[in-house]
Amino acid sequence: MTGLRLHPFTLLAIAGTLPALAWILPAPVGGAWTAAIALTLAASRGLRPGLWPALLTAAPFWLFLLLLHDVPTTIAIGLRITTMVASFVWLVAALEPARLVEAMVAAGWSASVAYLLAATLSAVPVLKTRAQRIVEAQRCRGLSPRGGIAARLRALRALALPLILSALHEVDERALALETRGLVPGIRRTPLAPPPDPALEQATRWALCLACLAALVRRLIVPSPP
Amino acid sequence: MSIRLLALIPVAAAISLALSAAVDAVALPLFLDTTGTILATALAGPGVGIATGVVTSAVNTLRNPTFWPFVVVQIVVALYAWVAARAGLFRSFRTAVPAGLGLGVIASVTSTPISYLVFGCTTTGGIALTTALGKAIGLSPLGACFFGSFVSDFGDKAVTFALVTSVLHGLPRRTAARFPWALRAIGAA
Amino acid sequence: MKSLRLDHASFWYPATASPALRDVSLEVAPGEVVALVGALGAGASTLLLVAGDLAPRVTGGRLEGTAARRDRSGIVLPTPWTQVSGMAFTVWDEVAFGPANLGWPAHEISRQVDHALERLELVPLASRDPATLSGGELQRVIIAAILAMDPGLVLLDEPAAELDAEGARTLWRLIRVLAKEGKGILLATSALDALPEVADRVVWLEQGAVRAVGTPDLLAEAALCDAGLGTSVATVWRDSELPEPAPLTISDAVRRWR
Repeated sequence: MTGLRLHPFTLLAIAGTLPALAWILPAPVGGAWTAAIALTLAASRGLRPGLWPALLTAAPFWLFLLLLHDVPTTIAIGLRITTMVASFVWLVAALEPARLVEAMVAAGWSASVAYLLAATLSAVPVLKTRAQRIVEAQRCRGLSPRGGIAARLRALRALALPLILSALHEVDERALALETRGLVPGIRRTPLAPPPDPALEQATRWALCLACLAALVRRLIVPSPP
Repeated sequence: MSIRLLALIPVAAAISLALSAAVDAVALPLFLDTTGTILATALAGPGVGIATGVVTSAVNTLRNPTFWPFVVVQIVVALYAWVAARAGLFRSFRTAVPAGLGLGVIASVTSTPISYLVFGCTTTGGIALTTALGKAIGLSPLGACFFGSFVSDFGDKAVTFALVTSVLHGLPRRTAARFPWALRAIGAA
Repeated sequence: MKSLRLDHASFWYPATASPALRDVSLEVAPGEVVALVGALGAGASTLLLVAGDLAPRVTGGRLEGTAARRDRSGIVLPTPWTQVSGMAFTVWDEVAFGPANLGWPAHEISRQVDHALERLELVPLASRDPATLSGGELQRVIIAAILAMDPGLVLLDEPAAELDAEGARTLWRLIRVLAKEGKGILLATSALDALPEVADRVVWLEQGAVRAVGTPDLLAEAALCDAGLGTSVATVWRDSELPEPAPLTISDAVRRWR
């Protein structure tokens, strides 16, 4: 599985279908199947990048569900959450942002939409680093997590304001740079390295959509057993 | 959408996602994960705000998949912030903080059904424990779930509104004038 | 036709009473390198934005007078980290970002990108993630990214600010090569010592208005040296009260001395 490079849209379709089916199909059997498939997919990326994060993220939910609900409800909801978590952990490990951007461009999606997701992913670590530097600088000037609520709120303001204002100031420069590099609304961008999209994968995506639809219709029409 | 507004969205979304460092440093039980959405709306209107909210949820989901169902909350937050901006409620803390408290109620009302139906009220440990407390004092399951969401959302949204007010007033006039809604949001236009 | 022609251009940023540019008339011919010098806030960056059709179109504000270009322009701003596209995960893709947006065919994009990477000595970095580059490396990537779009008018705002001495020398040499290829270059810089070799004309800006225009010899004149805008050699010569005229460069000074 590690060697197989599915088209990014196929990865998204699978990661979206599994949680959808987990909710649509009757619990607990439906959830058990989807959770098993999702955990297998997560494990296919390896124990450390795949299975452990999926299990560790899902585990607290099971604990809190037991605290609040009876066992059947816990199992039903727990399996759904496990499916969601494991599907997304697998997606994050398998999806390469560059390939997703290229897939969106090749499929004719607006370059602006592709830009929004990619640019946010790029901007987050930059702002996080800057936030950390501001925190360290303020600590040198006596910032401490002690003190009453009012003092901490004032400290929060002193940390957050420089970060936000400097980020907003940069919006202008970013806009100028994008404009000069030709990213204007409505352009038809040339795909640089469009990922191959075999007919089989396209058919698979349609099949997954139809499977969800069929399951939903069946769930709505066919009465549940007493 | 102009190129400047397009450039604003990822920055605003990244602001929401990066503020966790500041929150941790002051050890306050806040999220501030709608700061960028509210700010983008106050600066540039509901379309930009909604886009910011959706992008914030999408990127957050890559880190923690349980965020995605709450994208609806981000959209509702953007719409509320737009109403607040049109009414100039960011002109001072005296108007912004009550508006933020109001958003806290609305955000809880929106997130409760999602939390209840999708997660059985276990969205976070804090919400789960507060829900258990609510059940213990005799609230219905849905009521207890609302209680859990409310406790975390109420203060968080008030602080977020206050923070956005500070930012809007801290912007140099020349910068604020370049965003369509900024001056109106602080009652200066 | 000139690469750039500004005719009595005045510009106000939004919500500001005083103009950032006052009645500026300036021409840049194809193959000419014009350098803008001035104190901080003199209006050089604003002039570049007006020249590149970014002000008032993207910045907002009001322009009086005219600004006309013969060809497409490209601008390099001083802070490389805000110019990264955010959509590219390798240097090659970053440089290809602009040409791809122009809708060029793939083979043309490859040709332009490879050429630009060679010129800026970036070929060893082609598969690196831009987020892992130093400020100087990133600035070279951004310059390559603009050149890959083959603009007829190249606008550079403090392009050497993040570069080390060797990188700056490569850049100045490249600017002369671009001028030889027929591109018009308008350059705002505080690297005054490089200008005698690089610029054909120097424009002194003060408070948004043109104070003086001339050859790089302007940078040895008393008025500019007093304003802190002379070359290092000319400034030291004047401060030492040595006889006029002050030399512009070290080689001029050596010739005078002998």
